[in-house]
Amino acid sequence: MTISLTVPDVLVARARTGDLEALEALYRAFETPVYNLARRILRTPEDAEDVLQETFLEVVKSIKHYRGEGHLWGWIRRIAASKALMRIRREQVRATEEFEEAATGGRPAAHVGTNIDLERALKQLTGTARAVVWLHDVEGYTHEEIAELMGKTVSFSKSQLARAHARLRRTLEPGLEGA
Amino acid sequence: MHCTMEDLVAVRDGEGSTGARQHLEDCAACRAELDALYQRVAQLKALPALRPPRDRWDVVRAELVATQRRRRRWWGTMSLAAAAAVAGLIVFRPWSGGNTLHAELSQAKQRCSTLESALQQYDADGRVVSGRSAALAAQLEDRIAAVDGQLSQVSPATGGSRPPEAKLVDLWKQRATLMQQLYQVRVTRVSYVGL
Repeated sequence: MTISLTVPDVLVARARTGDLEALEALYRAFETPVYNLARRILRTPEDAEDVLQETFLEVVKSIKHYRGEGHLWGWIRRIAASKALMRIRREQVRATEEFEEAATGGRPAAHVGTNIDLERALKQLTGTARAVVWLHDVEGYTHEEIAELMGKTVSFSKSQLARAHARLRRTLEPGLEGA
Repeated sequence: MHCTMEDLVAVRDGEGSTGARQHLEDCAACRAELDALYQRVAQLKALPALRPPRDRWDVVRAELVATQRRRRRWWGTMSLAAAAAVAGLIVFRPWSGGNTLHAELSQAKQRCSTLESALQQYDADGRVVSGRSAALAAQLEDRIAAVDGQLSQVSPATGGSRPPEAKLVDLWKQRATLMQQLYQVRVTRVSYVGL
């Protein structure tokens, strides 16, 4: 994914004053990376769209507090990641409730094919494992940063990353065992 | 014993144990697993960018415009109140001699000031309110603005049947009552304040 994430300082300065044109320009510059991040972490396109909207509602409300420390994309990405993780937590609560309901009714197990590609393999991961592998290996977050975002420990993040890779490997190369 | 995935990820991130690194030097199978890990991550990074199917800017913009409008109205009200307070101080100079009216005036202004501080600390835009509460708040803000308008008109030359001091006290008391009601609607979210 190669998208330019650099915006002129003057645009940011205008956006901080509430200038609608400047804010829209920021939206146009970052809508794809924000959506992409959310879409890779979350299960459905609808959830990712909601995170895109929530992220920019937060951006337009809080940009006056952005002091220019660090890259603007880093600031926006953190808001997006935080919103997406919040949604995963809600999803997990819902999934637990559904599981409890299904325990008495019975649900068919998810089919795991043998010829699925990486995107489908990603979708097979739990929300948390998918978020950790994407944030760490693609977005470049450290385990410390992920732990802080998730409200968990560094070892939790490391363990989720290893489990995610083990699962990806098994899904992508089901014939291989060991390691 | 072969490396676990935890070992491989740790080695890739430069945190692997000496034992794991030593094992990798000797074991072709584990080296192949480490290569596969690098390849998988490279493939993840190379996945195409997914673009949002719908434009959400209109929703964000509408929310932003509504917020800016609310803020402008609120600060407009506050500015008028401040101007009226300054005018009152100039006209009556409460520090030059005390009487009952001055004391009442001072008390009502103090009450308004306390409520204004409380309301400023409260972030109305970050809360979800019912339509009834939002309408009540807007109505109260309009009434406060009307009182502020009257306050800005009161001066020693105003004349009329009542002395301006008494009128000022009445208006400031009205303002304090309205601000108390606004506080109740905004912060405690009551849906009935007698309007």
